[in-house]
Amino acid sequence: MPQFFFALSLIALVLMLGAVWQAAAPSWKKYQQEYHRLESLGEPNAAAKAAVLNTALDIRQELLPGLQRVDRCTTCHLGVEDPTMKNAPQPFTFHPNLAPHVVAKFGCTVCHGGQGLATDKVNAHGKVPFWPEPLLPKEYIRASCGRCHKEGDVPGVPELTEGRRLFEATGCRGCHKLNGVGGSIGKDLTEEGAVRRYPEWLERHFLDPNAVSPNSPMPNFHFTKEQARALTFYMLSLTNEQMGTYYSSVRLIPSAGYGRQLFTEKNCIACHSIGGVGAKAGPDLLGVAKAHSAGWLDEQLVNPQMLYPGSTMPAYDLETNARKALITFMAAATQEDAQTILSGRPKPLTAEEAAIEGGKQSFARFGCVGCHGLNLQGGVPNPNSQGGEVPSLLHASDDYTKDEVIKIIRNGKQPPLQDTSKPAPPLYMPSWKAVLNDEDINRIADYLWSLQSKKSGW
Amino acid sequence: MTPLRDVWRSIVRRDPLSTDKGKSELVFLNLWLHIHPAKVKRENFKLKHTWYLGFITFYLFLILVTTGVALMFYYRPDAPQSYQDMKDLQFVVYLGSFLRNMHRWSAHGMVICVFLHMCRVFYTGSYKAPRQFNWVIGVFLFLLTLGLSFTGYLLPWDQLAFWAITVGSNIGGYAPLVGPRLKELLLGGHAVGESALLRFYVLHVAVLPSTMILLTMVHFWRVRKDGGLSRPVWKLKPAAAGPLVRIGAPAPAEAALVVVPASQDKTYGLMEVVTGKPIFETVTAEEEEDTVFSYPYAFFREAIALMATVTSVMAISLFWQAPLEELANPAKTPNPAKAPWYFLGLQELVSHSALLGGVVVPALAVLGLLAIPYLDTNPSRRPADRKWAIRAFTLFVVVNVVLIIIGTLFRGPGWALVPPWVHVSGAE
Amino acid sequence: MKRRSWLGWGTAGLVALWSAVGVSLGAVVRFLTPSVFYEPPQSFKIGNPADFSFGPPTFLAEEKIFVFRDREKGFAVASAVCTHLGCTVGYFQDDQRFHCPCHGSVFAGDGAVQHGPAPRPLEWFEVTLARDGQLRVDKDHVVPAAYRLMV
Repeated sequence: MPQFFFALSLIALVLMLGAVWQAAAPSWKKYQQEYHRLESLGEPNAAAKAAVLNTALDIRQELLPGLQRVDRCTTCHLGVEDPTMKNAPQPFTFHPNLAPHVVAKFGCTVCHGGQGLATDKVNAHGKVPFWPEPLLPKEYIRASCGRCHKEGDVPGVPELTEGRRLFEATGCRGCHKLNGVGGSIGKDLTEEGAVRRYPEWLERHFLDPNAVSPNSPMPNFHFTKEQARALTFYMLSLTNEQMGTYYSSVRLIPSAGYGRQLFTEKNCIACHSIGGVGAKAGPDLLGVAKAHSAGWLDEQLVNPQMLYPGSTMPAYDLETNARKALITFMAAATQEDAQTILSGRPKPLTAEEAAIEGGKQSFARFGCVGCHGLNLQGGVPNPNSQGGEVPSLLHASDDYTKDEVIKIIRNGKQPPLQDTSKPAPPLYMPSWKAVLNDEDINRIADYLWSLQSKKSGW
Repeated sequence: MTPLRDVWRSIVRRDPLSTDKGKSELVFLNLWLHIHPAKVKRENFKLKHTWYLGFITFYLFLILVTTGVALMFYYRPDAPQSYQDMKDLQFVVYLGSFLRNMHRWSAHGMVICVFLHMCRVFYTGSYKAPRQFNWVIGVFLFLLTLGLSFTGYLLPWDQLAFWAITVGSNIGGYAPLVGPRLKELLLGGHAVGESALLRFYVLHVAVLPSTMILLTMVHFWRVRKDGGLSRPVWKLKPAAAGPLVRIGAPAPAEAALVVVPASQDKTYGLMEVVTGKPIFETVTAEEEEDTVFSYPYAFFREAIALMATVTSVMAISLFWQAPLEELANPAKTPNPAKAPWYFLGLQELVSHSALLGGVVVPALAVLGLLAIPYLDTNPSRRPADRKWAIRAFTLFVVVNVVLIIIGTLFRGPGWALVPPWVHVSGAE
Repeated sequence: MKRRSWLGWGTAGLVALWSAVGVSLGAVVRFLTPSVFYEPPQSFKIGNPADFSFGPPTFLAEEKIFVFRDREKGFAVASAVCTHLGCTVGYFQDDQRFHCPCHGSVFAGDGAVQHGPAPRPLEWFEVTLARDGQLRVDKDHVVPAAYRLMV
């Protein structure tokens, strides 16, 4: 009996010591000691060396309430903001070109991914079960720019701009919801970048959806490698995290590229000219940035009436960074720029053409192209529907009257089954009356009819 | 030295432990020990008679209170802060994961031990007169244990917690009439959310533990008042012939209410004789009195049981991490979503019939358990005399265990029957 | 025989048991000692030297410090926390003194108590140049009022 008591007491002691020992030697301490050793090499005298070597070891963390995170990466990545550590090995290497995204304001994980709260390598890099945001591979890190810079183009990340353009142009919204707008056949993509940060998977998925998720109803759009990469970038940037005002207020980068986009969108060329190219209703803008200070131009954009009472220029409701972007663009704008903008401008349309054009826009924007194709060719596989694929719309007038087509768009349609004993095909025509108004639907029908080619001529 | 000795004497007022009086006074002059009798029957402390399951359950509860209070220092019942606090326990708080592991594994252990304890009490017939009501209290303690485990399950605020509680509280929502109202009361809303987290926290750290402590006190008190730990009386040998003292017989014609052997070293002082039957256990066959002083016999055994429990929990906690999944996401249901394991039997039933699993079976099970001592009026505790009772209870236990095992191990995505050794691809 | 085994094993058991209890108590103290602080760090960067103007000190409200920059002497950082009961003091350019709004303590330009209940002068913190060229203030290092960093 007493032996039993002794044995249990001893086990209790050993277990307690085991727990204490396990807790006493976390891996980050070794990294900090190694870093201080590296640091001490650069110190001139023994006293300074000793002082560096004796620096207290502690967990470092950046509190980032505006990004709803706490990043402890700098506990091991100690040289991130120390240029003398440029050639130091990881995890101590200096991070070049960090400004203005300083660690104290941005932390690390908002761009790089990983688990900021963790204090050991495996968990921190996030390649563990139950952490949805593992460290992003190097070539995809730039996608994270889009998490804050949600509009305009981001210098150095053309993939993001291209991805956003492709997303709208390909009609992805027809099946996928994004920020509450879009179809419901596919997955809601609002949080795609937060719940599935596996870029390789995404990229392969865009190249061939069936290769990574068999039986996916998503058609193969035959994207090029670059396009798949661009869409992957865009997906990775999609989160619905609530960023603090500090981060959301700088989401636009006042680049010349964005300025040009605004200049085109707002149709400045309708009144102004650059070096004589353009309209003459307003002053010529060549060299306007030399003639006036940036502050003056900014005020002019905010309220043209202020500097020139009675000016016919309307006050555009532009954000600070949008105004900056316009000014940046104007400073460098040339006659050629004006030419390209002018030539890209749509010619005035007749009422009929406008309706067809509107229909075409709606057809692309609301995602009809997702199934029926950009050129109405159809052909997306749809197992167990008659013909096995989504029908082409080029011959719709053979089988339907325009009114019937309008009815189908309004109320939707289940495709007839090939084999009634098998499950219904995955794709079907949804009812659009909750999304589109009658005018939109009529315009889409106009657009379809404008492209009909009769099987048999007269 | 004298003043120090005076201080010591003022605290410890008993005689030296080498004397019998000292051994007795150790028990009844001490608040913490006086729930024990001064002398215990040797028979009661045989390992095979109780497996110490009641003790172990209580010790697990002590571990849970201690580690639970420690964890409260680092926990905020505020989504999604709670999840971050879990991560802090894991990554930065000294011994944080160890304490959390201890809390988690003890909680599971307590559910198991309290159930095993109940089985032991049933099989030894220890719920029979005069212990009927203590069985009822025991059933309530079992329900409280489930309630504590269930409320604690939500607190980490990860996917596991969120969906287990969502599924679990929906099982409760099937109850007719009161179900939806009950669910609303419990969750403070229509679905698991921040108000549910706060409610579960308050229930988990204040309401349920204090109720548990109160009921445990009553439970222990009645164990003592109902005749001490229950013994397999049918195994006891008749006492050696000797003079018997008859107590409380109002008339010589009536059978004695208590018959105790007149022993040499025991004195009985009767202050007053009142008529009526004593409530405590009477033994038909006068057993052999084999009693020893609680100190050290009982205390030593209890201490060993305590240390064995603590070391086992520590050893498990050192090597097995408590689970922590992704942050709770109401928009992303894991497939399959499972209730805590002890409710998976019910979930399994609910998957066949909501009415059966959500209402009929749990209601019958609880009512049935509560009624056992009053339905089973067979006075004999001898297993041979109560074959049908034992068969019925064994069936209840086996069905429960089998359903839980099926629900836990054999249910895959879409609640399809999948053996645990088959990996289902695409399950997220 | 029985007695002896109790003396030997029992005592050894008690020693082990109490050691385990002792280790546990120590561990509990360590457990309760915070490893990370959810508050602004004691040592932090305040920006590039060029961000600070000469003349009146720059007050950083969140960090509760005054940053003084002098053309000849360089940088100095004073605490804005009154040594009396912890209110935040203000610096008045016209009399070049710190005034505490709570109980009227007045500190001279070098932090010395001139008036009121404050028991000690205002603290001055070490300011150094970090390797990336930013100024770093360390509130854990109190320096004499004469301390200056020349940049």
